[in-house]
Amino acid sequence: MFDQSSNFINRRTFLAKGGFSIGAAALASQLAKAGTTGGNDLSLGQVPHHAPKAKRVIYLCMAGGPSHLETFDYKPELDKINGQAFPESFTKGQPIAQLQGKALKAQGHLGGFKQYGKSGQWISDYLPYHQKMADDITVIRSMVTEQINHDPAHTFMNTGTAISGRPSMGSWVNYGLGSETENLPGFVVLTSVGGRNPQPIASRQWSSGFLPSSFQGVEFNSSGDPVNYVSKPAGVSSGHQDALIRTIQQLDAKRNDLVDNPEISARIKAYEMAFRMQTSVPELTDFAGESQKTLDMYGATPGDGSYASNCLLARRMIEKGVRFVQLYHRGWDHHGGLDKYMKICAGHTDKATWALLTDLKQRGLLEDTLVVWGGEFGRTPMFQGKGGAGRDHHIKGFSMWMAGGGVKPGLSHGATDELGYNAVKDIVHVRDFHATMLHLLGIDHHQFSKKFQGLDMRLTGVKPAKVIKQLLA
Amino acid sequence: MQPAVPHFLPQIKKKGRANRKDLANWLTDVENGTGGLTARVMANRFFYLYFGTGISRSLSDFGGQGQPPANPELLDRLAVQFYESGWDIKHMVRLLTTSRAYRQSSLTTPKLRDLDPYNQLVAHQSRFRLPAEMIRDNALAVSGLLQTEIGGASVMPNQPVGYYRHLNFPIRKYKQHTDQRVYRRSVYMHWQRQFLHPMLKAFDAPSREECTAERPRSNTPVAALNLLNDPNFVESARVLAERVLREAKKDDGARLNHAYKLVLSRDPTDAERKTMGDLFIYAKKDFKQRPDAAKKLISIGQTPADPKWDPSELAAWTTISRALLNLSETTTRN
Repeated sequence: MFDQSSNFINRRTFLAKGGFSIGAAALASQLAKAGTTGGNDLSLGQVPHHAPKAKRVIYLCMAGGPSHLETFDYKPELDKINGQAFPESFTKGQPIAQLQGKALKAQGHLGGFKQYGKSGQWISDYLPYHQKMADDITVIRSMVTEQINHDPAHTFMNTGTAISGRPSMGSWVNYGLGSETENLPGFVVLTSVGGRNPQPIASRQWSSGFLPSSFQGVEFNSSGDPVNYVSKPAGVSSGHQDALIRTIQQLDAKRNDLVDNPEISARIKAYEMAFRMQTSVPELTDFAGESQKTLDMYGATPGDGSYASNCLLARRMIEKGVRFVQLYHRGWDHHGGLDKYMKICAGHTDKATWALLTDLKQRGLLEDTLVVWGGEFGRTPMFQGKGGAGRDHHIKGFSMWMAGGGVKPGLSHGATDELGYNAVKDIVHVRDFHATMLHLLGIDHHQFSKKFQGLDMRLTGVKPAKVIKQLLA
Repeated sequence: MQPAVPHFLPQIKKKGRANRKDLANWLTDVENGTGGLTARVMANRFFYLYFGTGISRSLSDFGGQGQPPANPELLDRLAVQFYESGWDIKHMVRLLTTSRAYRQSSLTTPKLRDLDPYNQLVAHQSRFRLPAEMIRDNALAVSGLLQTEIGGASVMPNQPVGYYRHLNFPIRKYKQHTDQRVYRRSVYMHWQRQFLHPMLKAFDAPSREECTAERPRSNTPVAALNLLNDPNFVESARVLAERVLREAKKDDGARLNHAYKLVLSRDPTDAERKTMGDLFIYAKKDFKQRPDAAKKLISIGQTPADPKWDPSELAAWTTISRALLNLSETTTRN
């Protein structure tokens, strides 16, 4: 029955001739006609709006809310009132998480602080490797957010609102700037193992919301398949899988000749990327090409799912054209046992973060890569004692840092009050941080919107947001 | 504080505190309550289910920011039918699916697409990707694995090991079921809020954090990888291959026809026969050369392969079945 002499046409020939590239072009025009979402729609205007300083972002998310008072924010006055009642003038009527209704006592710094580098940045003893990069990073010491519990605070940090269902910043950036790779998704999320009492991180945090789903973050697993179902079934060789995918694409293309449906062209493209991911993803996660020196610098053991391995993976991803890598390290929620768990979390992340920055610098990548470090909020200057001294969630003042692409290095920006409670000088709201990040990427946050539910939705929302000019190199 | 309904809608007329029964009566009372609105909203959603888009495209917003209905007379007529039938959903499903509009072909023309890009006037039937649950149910159904029993506790089919690794408070362990329950309809699948099965997620089932009237219909590489490589689909493909071998005449052409009939309810075209034939020849040769690989492929899943089939033959037909289950036509309501 079947023609025994038949041969497959060459894959590339098929893709070139058989409707793949044509299909994609047709898709774009049809989508434009149908008014559905494509890549850059007209509401975006011309993106980038100005020359970008950064082309990509590595966002090191210290989930749980690291204490600014044990990392970057030194307050000698707080030490002076250690153990005493915390002045009510600060706390009256303020949002309080777990300390609600409890007596509020001042908790001085655990661990010492010194100034480092030419810039003289204050950095805590818990972060010996951060001390070495004092002149590379810009510490924002006056961050404020609006959400005091983990999940909504992450949502706020990622999407600019606590309402779920809005696009994450990684989706926005890819939506605006497009992808630089056809082999990998433009927005990748990594979650590392280790740490204390890790909070669950919902995939909503990297949702594309009302933006097209192709801009959603793709999560890489720390063990098993790096991406769910990226491995071929047992017994199926690469060539076999290739033949299968090619057949599916050919039959879909034939079908499209009949029904002329733009979704089919998009589907052929999705199968193409799926095919490529089956090779590119394992290549990415295979550290065989990395020198022992590099592995040692990060402290990475291939396949361990650690923050260190994920930092190295992040570098490999941006080298391959991934636009936005978000790396979650959970376990910074130190309501108690602060000293013990600071040591554990810093032990997991401090050196690898330094290694990442150093590696990017050595490879000339830091110039146009924006690196961000920070949690969803900070921690109270007041004592909480769930198993040894700790601190509660705090949103009125905390620290983050930025480095690389277009950021002035070694800068110390803004300040909290003398007790580290309220940000008082050069306050940076999450929206300001988003506006600044977009600015560095060449995007004017005012003009960067998408129509949804009758509104021009923006990452920075409708409330005032400003680019922090002082941070710009 | 007393329970009340929004001020711009008809009010619940009751002395004293209104209870849930009052609310239910108000929702369905077309004379004194808001029954007319309820009926319209529901009618619009039924229409969306069978035509791919609502008469008003905003399913969850009939207010000032919603989209006006493309055909208000039709919406009203369906709404009236709905409450006059005694709010009978079955009646509405029958009404819609036996209509001439529903039974049209989904083929369209560039001109029609230009005139009515969302096909709201239904000059032809619509074509849209099946919802997540139906994609899985369909694969199970065509292979014959589907268990149609109604009701009962949630079921746990295969899911990647360690998928719940980031869940906490408390830590959960997913224990895959090891009996026929894994073949039950997807509405019975265990839903871990925010961590729903990656298959459901890849095909846009909501995380159930908020009410979702309309799901997106994405078209992503993650979904492609799922259909290609998820052991649940590989198993369905292999069991489908066994069904084809068992039911069709012992002839490759007849077998391919039968596979097409089972999955697409039609015969393959000559061009499709040629393309699938090429794949089959390649697959059979490949598995003949690598019999161990063939055995590995046909061992995937909980239902053991029938030993009466030659492993290379069965594996090659599994490849054909995988191709069929991955087609756009298979995962699309045509």
